[in-house]
Amino acid sequence: MTGTATVHSDYGFVGLILVMTSGLALLAVAAFARAPRRVLDPSQAWAQYRFGYAVYALIFLAFDMEMIFMYPWAVVFTDVGISAFLDMLIFIALLGVGIAYAWGMGGLQWE
Amino acid sequence: MGVIVTAIAVLAALCGGAGLTSGLERLFVRPVWEPGPVHAADLRHPLDLPNADRWLLPAGPVVAFAGTALAMIVVPLGSGLIGRDLGIGAFYVIVVIDFVVLGLALAGWGANVPNTVEACYRIIAQLVAYVVPLGLAYVGVIMMARSLSTVAIVEAQRGLWFIVLQPLGFLLYLVTGLMQSYRAPFLEPFAVSIRGGVLGASGGWSALLWRIALAGVLFLVAAIGAVLYLGGPNGPVLPGWFWMTLKTYALMALMLGLGRLVRPLSTAEMLALSWKILTPVGLLNVLLVGGLILLGVRP
Amino acid sequence: MTAAFEILAFAVSGFVAIAGALGMTTTMSMFRSGIFLMASFIGVAGLFILLAADLIGLLQIMMYIGGMLVMILFMVLVMHDPGGAMMAGMDMAPIERWFSAGLEPRKPRQGGHGDHGDHAVQHTDDDGHGSHEGHGGMDMSMVTPVRPAAAWLAIVVGTVLIGMLIWRPAWPVVGTLPDPDSAARVGHLLMEKYMIAFEGAGFLILIGIFGAVLLARPSTYPDDPSRSAKVAVDRKPEAIADDRIAPLAGRDRDHRAGDDGL
Repeated sequence: MTGTATVHSDYGFVGLILVMTSGLALLAVAAFARAPRRVLDPSQAWAQYRFGYAVYALIFLAFDMEMIFMYPWAVVFTDVGISAFLDMLIFIALLGVGIAYAWGMGGLQWE
Repeated sequence: MGVIVTAIAVLAALCGGAGLTSGLERLFVRPVWEPGPVHAADLRHPLDLPNADRWLLPAGPVVAFAGTALAMIVVPLGSGLIGRDLGIGAFYVIVVIDFVVLGLALAGWGANVPNTVEACYRIIAQLVAYVVPLGLAYVGVIMMARSLSTVAIVEAQRGLWFIVLQPLGFLLYLVTGLMQSYRAPFLEPFAVSIRGGVLGASGGWSALLWRIALAGVLFLVAAIGAVLYLGGPNGPVLPGWFWMTLKTYALMALMLGLGRLVRPLSTAEMLALSWKILTPVGLLNVLLVGGLILLGVRP
Repeated sequence: MTAAFEILAFAVSGFVAIAGALGMTTTMSMFRSGIFLMASFIGVAGLFILLAADLIGLLQIMMYIGGMLVMILFMVLVMHDPGGAMMAGMDMAPIERWFSAGLEPRKPRQGGHGDHGDHAVQHTDDDGHGSHEGHGGMDMSMVTPVRPAAAWLAIVVGTVLIGMLIWRPAWPVVGTLPDPDSAARVGHLLMEKYMIAFEGAGFLILIGIFGAVLLARPSTYPDDPSRSAKVAVDRKPEAIADDRIAPLAGRDRDHRAGDDGL
């Protein structure tokens, strides 16, 4: 049971920080409640936008997924040794193929 | 009770660190240069944006500030001077600093002003650029430290700092750290041409929170860099908190100085740099470190 | 004391997860919709942490901050009225009104420092919002008829799930919880027991990259001029005031040091 208790107390502290941060933010809001306000030009900007990094963004999603596997792997790397190295070599090779393919197809550029 | 005192100490450390950071940063900003995240913001008058999303816009700075405060928990400022030694501290830092990006995106879109929406797009491009190489820079250290806990990473460097064993990873961290903190060559989201982006559409309390959050990000990036590569609070004779502060601000000055040597890059150039150079270098670094460990080179 | 905190944390996480999902489906703003979905997943991450699986919880948060922010960009790309400023003024159910609160433009407060009058109401400025005139009716017709069916489907699925919960009351409960060093545990499992799954995931990611590049190549993107799509960020941003170094040509980005001095 100690494992759960440790995790709970650790993240309870994280929650406490979160609550205190919100409190500080509310204090900041309250401190400026009576200050004179400024109005900015009300032009609107919510419209459809194209963005130039669509391929980057999609590849990013794939690599973000890959990074998830990296961290637990990195922790146990020294214990597992050569087989972990070979595993990750295959994994990195696959990703390298992916990034090389994207690059070769002209995906890695601003559109 | 002790918990609350610790929590207050963490927040005080963040605010103090952010204050010192903005002091230091002033030395690296000339009037003719792009100010980036130290772009002028109206600290006196709260701002009314009639067309804004009235929940997303104020949520932005709060989320960003909360992200920095949460990341501060696991930064070891000395032996025993740490909010909580989470078992997965280094990974936790990567995750919660993303909340700063989230906050900037929320405020950028929420303000409904062309400049800030542009800033929102640039911020997300910045996220796309920095996450993978930054993660790879962490992974090298984690492999040698054999733990994700920040305290364990510091312990593992008692004999030899990781900067000696992984110079490539350190360089990678310098560049991606600048991306993560939106400092000099990567300051597109706060460019003068879009009036400081989100900062231009902030005022009063939100400008204040942005100041803390943006200075806090740089402080955290430097502090975590000191923990990962410079041995954190380890040092002879003098107490740990002194060494930690010294290393943090030395690394910060190094990053800011190097960043100012280079022309500010556009978002497109930053993305190309990240995916064509930094990510392959990061993968190479992981393989190099793996080879070193297999050869028996470890701290 | 601890039990009370656990229940409180469970209640908060569960509330965030469910309210986020509800908000995702009912809000008028595409951007908010994505953010609500993200909030929902962060609530689920809270539940993971309550189960002492902090690594999985944080992985979830990391994935969905990045993933949802990118997904929002694609939603904004394809949706009319992505900010919901038009739709928010229309006839809405109470829950929609609740989750779309604060979206519609309002008149600037009188007595502020601004020097413009009341022209801020939504229909006067059409440079930022060129496309809204004809689309109001279409959006409504697109959205409304599907919604009751979707609601019924959700109710049916929810009933089935709750029924399964009640029908199978004997959940297996482990006596001992694993050690808190979750990263090492997951790593060992990945390297030994689930090695094939790990490499298979790598392969799937590769296929995903292939698909993404094929689908999103510049030449295949249909440029529909009727959409008010804009390029959000210039390839070359505006000249930077003190740029003493000439902008570099595309190829040689890697030696870009200059002598700007400190």
